[in-house]
Amino acid sequence: MTAATTLADEPIPPAPTGFLRRHVFSTDHKVIGRQFLFLGLTFLAVGGIMAMLIRWQLARPGAPVPLVGKLFFASAGGVISPPAYTALFTMHGTIMIFFAVTPIVIGGFGNFLLPLLIGARDMAFPRLNMASFWTLAVATGLLCASFFVPLGPPQAGWTAYATLSTALGTPGAGQTLWVIAIYLNGASSVMGAVNYITTVLRLRAPGMSWLRLPLTVWGLFLTSILNALFVPVLGAAMVLLLFDRLFGTQFFVAGTTPGAGGDPILYQHLFWLFGHPEVYILILPAWGIIGDLLSFFARKPAFGYRVTVGALIGVVVLSSVVYGHHMFTTGLSPLLGESFMVLTMIISVPTSLLVLNWLGTLWRGAIRFNTPMLFCLGMVFTFGVGGLTGLYLADVVADIYLHDTYFVVGHFHLIMAAALLLSLFAATYFWYPKMFGRMLNERLGKLHFWLTFVPLNLVFIGQLIIGAQGMQRRLYDPSVYEAWRPLAGLNRGISHAAYLLGAAQLLFVWNFFMSLWRGRPAPPNPWEVGTLEWSVPSPPPHHNFDTIPVVVRGPHEMANPAAKPLGRDWLSQTELVEEPPR
Amino acid sequence: MTTDALGARREADAAVGLLVFLGATAMLFAALLLAYAVLRAQAPHWPPAGTPPLPRGLAGANTLLLAGASAALWRARRASPRGWRAAAGVLAAGFLIGQVVLWRHLAAVGLGARGQLPGQVFLALSALHALHVAAGLLVLLVSRRLRLVSLYWDFVLAVWVVLYVAVCWL
Repeated sequence: MTAATTLADEPIPPAPTGFLRRHVFSTDHKVIGRQFLFLGLTFLAVGGIMAMLIRWQLARPGAPVPLVGKLFFASAGGVISPPAYTALFTMHGTIMIFFAVTPIVIGGFGNFLLPLLIGARDMAFPRLNMASFWTLAVATGLLCASFFVPLGPPQAGWTAYATLSTALGTPGAGQTLWVIAIYLNGASSVMGAVNYITTVLRLRAPGMSWLRLPLTVWGLFLTSILNALFVPVLGAAMVLLLFDRLFGTQFFVAGTTPGAGGDPILYQHLFWLFGHPEVYILILPAWGIIGDLLSFFARKPAFGYRVTVGALIGVVVLSSVVYGHHMFTTGLSPLLGESFMVLTMIISVPTSLLVLNWLGTLWRGAIRFNTPMLFCLGMVFTFGVGGLTGLYLADVVADIYLHDTYFVVGHFHLIMAAALLLSLFAATYFWYPKMFGRMLNERLGKLHFWLTFVPLNLVFIGQLIIGAQGMQRRLYDPSVYEAWRPLAGLNRGISHAAYLLGAAQLLFVWNFFMSLWRGRPAPPNPWEVGTLEWSVPSPPPHHNFDTIPVVVRGPHEMANPAAKPLGRDWLSQTELVEEPPR
Repeated sequence: MTTDALGARREADAAVGLLVFLGATAMLFAALLLAYAVLRAQAPHWPPAGTPPLPRGLAGANTLLLAGASAALWRARRASPRGWRAAAGVLAAGFLIGQVVLWRHLAAVGLGARGQLPGQVFLALSALHALHVAAGLLVLLVSRRLRLVSLYWDFVLAVWVVLYVAVCWL
C-alpha cells in the first residue's frame, strides 16, 4: 500500500471544543498560522516604529522626539541618546528579521497554506507545530525583557559581531537575553522545518506530484531545507557566544598573547554561514508566492514553471557557498575573496531566470489589477532594483568602498524590506479571505499600495544614493562630519518619505481589523483560481477537506481551452474535463 | 484503513521527521567542530604550551557507558523491551554523571571555562552534547517508538565518538 492510497482514507480528527484548545494551545495549523501572523504583524509595527525613531535622529540629530520622546527617552529629555540609538537599530534589525518577517512569512503563511495547498488535513506533527509557536513566544518574551534589565537592551547590532557582543563589549543581561532569544527563535524555526519538510514529503494528496505543486509550496519547502541546515550554525555561534558571556571562555576574544585566545573573525564566519542562507530563507517563500500570484492575476499559466523550480533549487544550492561576500573587508585571503565574488555573481543567473519567468508570465496576459497583483508588480520592480545593486556589493573592489555604508542598507532593504514586505502584503490581501472568511476593502488596499510603494522606493533608493556618497551606516549623528553635512537635506527627505510610509500602514491596520467584522463575506473562491485551498469554504473547516482531493493537474491552469465549455478561464487542480486535442 | 496501517504510516512520518531533525543537529555539531578546527589551525602550537593533557581515560570510560546505552536499546528492540530499556536509561544517566565528574576534574587541573583553550572547546562541545543526551533520556522514558528512540541514541553516540576523538586524541 502506498502512502498516497492510505492518505485518502485517513480518519477525520474531531474538532476541539474548549476555548483554550481552540484558540490558544491549538494544534490546528490554521490557528497556529494566524497566531504566527498576529505575533509577526505586532512586531512588524514595533520594528517599524523603531525605524521611524532612527529616521528622526538622522533627520534632526539631537532634537527631542515629538509625542513619544518623553515616554521612551525620559532620562535624556526626549532626545535619543547614542546608546539608545544603538539599541534602536540593534532591535530594529533583530525584530524585523527574526520576530516579524520570519513569523509572518514562514510561520504564518507557511503554516496556514502548506497543508491546504498540498491537500492535507494538517501538518505531519501538529503538537510540534504548537511547540514551535510557543517556543517563539518565549523567545519573544525574553527579547522584550531585555528592555527592562540593568544596562538596558542589547547594543551590538543585529549581527552581534564579537567582540562587541561579548561581555567585554556589551556587558549586562540585555545582550545575554538577546543571545538566548535568538537561540530559541532558531529552535522554533528548526521545529517548523522538521514539520514542513515531513509534511511535503509525506502528506501530499494523491496525484500531487512534485511538478504539480504550487510554487508557494516549493518556496516553503526549500526554505525549510535551508532552515534545517543553517539555523543550527547560528545556534552554534550563539552557544559559543553564550559561553563567552556567561562562563568566561574566549572563543571570540583574541588572547593577550598570540595564539592563546580565540578569534573574533570566527564569529563572523559562523554568523554569515547562517546569515547568507537566511536571506534566501526569507525570500524563497516570497518568490514562490509571487510566482503563483502573477500567474493567477495575469490569467495565464506561470511561464517556465520547471525552469522556475530549477532556479529556486539552484539558489538553494548556491546560497550556502557565497557567504564570504559579507566579509571582504575582514582581511579575507584575496583568492578566497575572488572565489566568493564569482560564486555570488553566479547566483544572479538563477535569480535572473526567476525575474525573466515572471515577466514572461505577464507578457500578453489578461492582467487583473486587484490589490494583491499591484503588490506583486511592485515586488518585481523593487526586487529588480535591489538585486541589481547587489552586483556592486558582490564585487570585491566596489565592496571595499561601499562596505558598511548606506548603500548596503539601501540594497538589503530593497530586498528584505521592500520586496519581502510587498510580497507579504500581496499574500495577505490574497489569502485574507481564506484565513478570515471576509474580503479586505479593495479601494483602501489600492490606496495602501500606492502610499507604500512610492515612499518605500524613495526611502531605500535615497539610502543607495547617500551610501554611494560614502555615508556610513549605524552613524549616530552625521552632522558631526564635514563630509556628510551636504547630505543633511537628503537625509531629511528620506526621513519624511519614511514617515509617510509608516503612516500609510495605518490604512492597512484599519482595513485589516475593520474587514474582520465588517468586510464582505468571502465566497469560497473569490479570485477564481484552481489551487486546492480555494476548493474548500472560507475559512476552511477544522479538518480542511471532507475527502482528501485527488489532484489531476498543475496549479496554474489559467486560460486552458478545456475550461471554455464550463464558461470560465480556469480549471481546479482536481477537475477532470475533456481536453480538446492539441 | 486499519489502525495498524495508520500506526505504520505515522511511524514512517515520525522517522522522516527524526531524520530531518538529526540532520539539523548534525549541522549544529559540525559548526562547533568547524569553530574548533579554525581555532586550532590559528594557534601556533596545539595544545598551547603548558596545557595539561585532556583526560582520555576518564572520557573513554564515559564513552563506554554511552555505547552501552545504545547497545541496550538495540537489545530492547529485539527482546524484553522493559528490562533493557531500563538498563539503557541507567547507563545514560551514568554517562551524564560521568561527564559532570569529568568537568569538575578539568576545572581542577586548569582546563575549565577560564582555563586553556582546549579545555574550553571540550567543555562547550561536551556540554551541548550532554544536553542532547539529557533530552534523549527524557524521550527514552516516555516514547513508545523504540526504533526511533534507538536511532536517536545511536546518533548521540556517534556525535560523542567524533567529539571525543577530535578533541581528545587528534
